[in-house]
Amino acid sequence: MKFFSKPLFALLSLTFCLAAAQDPRQQLVDLAKAGNGVIKLDSKTFEILTSPKRTWEFEPSWNAVGGAWATVSKEHRDNHFFATLDFDDGQIVFQKLGLQSAPVVYVYPAAQGPRAPASGKTSPLKYDFSHGFDAAPLAESLSKHTPIPIPYRDPIDWAKYISIATGVLGLLVTLRFISPIIQSRWTWALGTVAISLVMTSGYMFTRIRNSPFTGGNGNWVAAGFQNQFGQEVSVVAGIYGLLAMSFLMLVMVVPHQTSPARQRAQIYLWSGVFVIVYSALVSLFRVKNRGYPFKLFL
Amino acid sequence: MPTAYPLPKNLSPATVANTASLIRIVALALISGAAIASRLFAVINFESIIHEFDPWFNYRATRVLAAKGFYEFWNWFDPTAWYPLGRVVGGTVYPGLMATSGVIYNLLHAINLPVDIRNICVLLAPGFSALTAWATYMFTKEMKDASAGLLAAAFIGIVPGYISRSVAGSYDNEAIAIFLLMFTFYTWIKALKQGSALFGTIAAVTYFYMVAAWGGYAFITNMIPLHALVLILMGRFSSRLYVAYSSWYAIGTLASMQVPFVGFQPVKTSEHMAALGVFGLLQIVAFAQLVRSHISSQQFQRLLVAGVVSIGVLGALAFVLLTYKGWIAPWTGRFYSLWDTGYAKKYIPIIASVSEHQPTAWPSFFMDLQFLIFLFPAGVILCFRELRDEHLFVIIYAAVASYFAGVMVRLMLTLTPVVCVTSAVALSTLLDTFIDPIEPEITDDAQSESGASTTSSVPGTNGAASTAPTATSAAASKKAKKAAPAASSEPGLKLSDVFASSTVKTSRPRGIYGLDTRVMIVFNTTLVLAFFVSHCTWVTSSAYSSPSVVLASTNPDGSQHIIDDFREAYYWLRQNTPEDAVVMSWWDYGYQIAGMADRPTLVDNNTWNNTHIATVGKAMSSSEEVAYPILRKHDVSYILVIFGGLIGYSGDDINKFLWMVRIAQGVWPDEIQEPNYFTPQGEYKVDDSASPAMKNSLMYKMSYYRFAELFGGNPGQDRVRQQQVPKVGPTLDYLDEAFTSENWIVRIYEVKKEDPLGRDLKSANAFAHGKKRKRSKPAPRRRAIV
Repeated sequence: MKFFSKPLFALLSLTFCLAAAQDPRQQLVDLAKAGNGVIKLDSKTFEILTSPKRTWEFEPSWNAVGGAWATVSKEHRDNHFFATLDFDDGQIVFQKLGLQSAPVVYVYPAAQGPRAPASGKTSPLKYDFSHGFDAAPLAESLSKHTPIPIPYRDPIDWAKYISIATGVLGLLVTLRFISPIIQSRWTWALGTVAISLVMTSGYMFTRIRNSPFTGGNGNWVAAGFQNQFGQEVSVVAGIYGLLAMSFLMLVMVVPHQTSPARQRAQIYLWSGVFVIVYSALVSLFRVKNRGYPFKLFL
Repeated sequence: MPTAYPLPKNLSPATVANTASLIRIVALALISGAAIASRLFAVINFESIIHEFDPWFNYRATRVLAAKGFYEFWNWFDPTAWYPLGRVVGGTVYPGLMATSGVIYNLLHAINLPVDIRNICVLLAPGFSALTAWATYMFTKEMKDASAGLLAAAFIGIVPGYISRSVAGSYDNEAIAIFLLMFTFYTWIKALKQGSALFGTIAAVTYFYMVAAWGGYAFITNMIPLHALVLILMGRFSSRLYVAYSSWYAIGTLASMQVPFVGFQPVKTSEHMAALGVFGLLQIVAFAQLVRSHISSQQFQRLLVAGVVSIGVLGALAFVLLTYKGWIAPWTGRFYSLWDTGYAKKYIPIIASVSEHQPTAWPSFFMDLQFLIFLFPAGVILCFRELRDEHLFVIIYAAVASYFAGVMVRLMLTLTPVVCVTSAVALSTLLDTFIDPIEPEITDDAQSESGASTTSSVPGTNGAASTAPTATSAAASKKAKKAAPAASSEPGLKLSDVFASSTVKTSRPRGIYGLDTRVMIVFNTTLVLAFFVSHCTWVTSSAYSSPSVVLASTNPDGSQHIIDDFREAYYWLRQNTPEDAVVMSWWDYGYQIAGMADRPTLVDNNTWNNTHIATVGKAMSSSEEVAYPILRKHDVSYILVIFGGLIGYSGDDINKFLWMVRIAQGVWPDEIQEPNYFTPQGEYKVDDSASPAMKNSLMYKMSYYRFAELFGGNPGQDRVRQQQVPKVGPTLDYLDEAFTSENWIVRIYEVKKEDPLGRDLKSANAFAHGKKRKRSKPAPRRRAIV
């Protein structure tokens, strides 16, 4: 659980008296500077920071967002702190907050001073990770609590651009060698059929819903009619492909057979494949839809 | 010429042709009958009633049209929808469906058939499904031949993927739109094949009808240009394409702009830009072709090509610039979410919340299309074998539609026609191959044993390949002889797909030897088709024929039990509340309340105003104290919630509640936060461990108010979520329970007026219950100042 980190971000209200060097605010400023905008917390400092008399605001965040915040001008910067808390350093805190999993992001608004929310709610707000763990939405969401928006920008993904550029160049170079393949209708036929097969096997469902590939314990069929695992895509697409192929064999290949015996054998073979695989498909469907009343030979 | 089975010899070709055409007509009539009949389950099992949600609005609008005439309908401002905003119905609706019913209504009344408008609305979709079958027949006939067309018509007539949206009572835009889709595609193919401006114009007119009928017209708007573009890129530009496309685009676009809801979108939004761009490209290419035919110089031609390309690039850049400058609107969220599938959930939760916008899992495909789903790729391959211009259309359609159908359940509807067409092509090719009586001559050396032993009709001596016209040249070593031209005069018995057109080895004879394999294949096919028919019947009767306004369950003795809570509650509203009483509910029920209870609603299924919906969501998901001012500001008198916990109706509001929270959070992120409605463990609970925000929310309170009392001291059980509700149920201070339907599915609450004595309703209620006012608890804010 070591990698479960819990960054925090703190705001010190401007009305807070600057007392001494031991002033918690100064501590936070120093700590933040030391950690490139992110404070490393333990149970003790966490207690200080979340004390009921706090006049600053805590917000956890990712290092990326914290790093972006470090570029903000000083007067704003020192009012907010990003902080992280490792499980190892602050088990008590985790127990206190009733946390069973990490990462978790809490926003601690200022409890006193001009930065306190107008609604008077000072309880920590939990950030919703349902949209994923990207830094950009996090920064956007946290900007609602900071005095000025966090100047976060997605890092430029050089690797992506470079690989795209190489890919395009490589394609152009190989184009003249493979142009007979590209101009063949059967290449395109295969592509189209592959798209249709994959799409009609629920590939987009697994992508949009982020379905796991399997359910674990060798269970690869998701329960429920409106649900499926990633492996079902390949199995179902394979079944459809096999059925379509056996059908095409009957239509396109068998009639060209010049020997009656061989032709007959092929017809029976592919019909058998068709019937058996179709039966398997129906019984697979019966697993998904328990109320389905029909079955074939399997 | 050897045949596998004896053929009658004394038939004149005219007799055969006439019989075939009679059979075709009879078959089409029967298919139409089957298409209509299979959609009547809903009427037979239940009654002649409008289904679901959107149809209720269409029905209401049609009633206005039928009663007051077209101009009244066109200028209709509905003050009861989206209270207090109102809705300009004439300008925000696709009027094609209502106009169609209105025309039929007036026509029937003109010939003194006093049919009720409701029955016309209920039966419109089945009626149009027969027309769809015919249009699909015509379309497939262009792809292969009439027999494939008949198969395709039969498939689309009974396939559940189409029935799901066109049963009797499902009075929605899709009811007529699929017919228009197929007919526009048919006329487009016809125009392209013949280079006919007439068919191009017909395509444009049906396109206009489609635009007036369904928002999905954008599919045609992009499919036809895509087809044209692919033809140009493949070097298949022809004057036929030019005539067909130009006539379709010019007339169709001008016509579509006459629909007020569409207006100037065809020249201003990205969805329509592909059509405009291809139109421009075609002009350039046509011009280049014209110039090329008049000049000869090689260099000048190169110059011309360069010029054309640079004009094209400039035009594309102009589009980019216009989009960038905002002259052309970018893709709307609805379309954009088809490409970037995470977009809707993040930015437009209303779209993502609709169940028919969810992605499709494979069982849905199999349920809706059954064996067609795997004949579909085979049919696509067969289209590639011939690859005429019209086959390209089907291929593009197949690839695009299967992607769309995978992204959204709803778009299964656009995939269904192409699946029917391609699988009909595949199946009819199989039947053609195996029914064709002509046997090829045995060319194998081992002919004596195997060939003779199998069938009675041993191949004769002078037999030849039936279809390969030039069989002689290449296969020199074989004994193939000259193909007898016009092997059989019957058009239906000819092998119509000629492998010779492709470049692959075609010189060998092709055909099926013997009778047993033919019988087996035909028998198998019949079985598969019979299975398909029983599957379709079962799916239609069990899954797609429920009106969802009326629910059905079975009694212990197996008889049907009708649950009619919705209508019970709506009629209660209609009869017991003042006519201007505003009813608040989640938007799903807006159209039904307007249609059946005839009361103003805050939000309805025309989800055009996100903020208004979020307001309702906020009221539902906040505590009574917060919600009350919202309710009063919107003049809400009654709140209607759907609760399925008693009888296990899973489509209730508690299950939709998270979407309400999400949509409200999108507008008020500081006040509503989705995680607050989960337990600390991240579970969605309604029992004792439910989070405080959940327990205090208006929705929870209204759903479970006095629910525990039903169980007489025993712990109450929520049958949808399978959880025990708290023994002490929620209390209400600002609302009064007004009505609860028989099975508790619909619960209606009255919003209390302000207290006459000026107290807040909470303390007034406490006073009424004889509770002492607690003075010992001052507001925490004051204490903080001290």
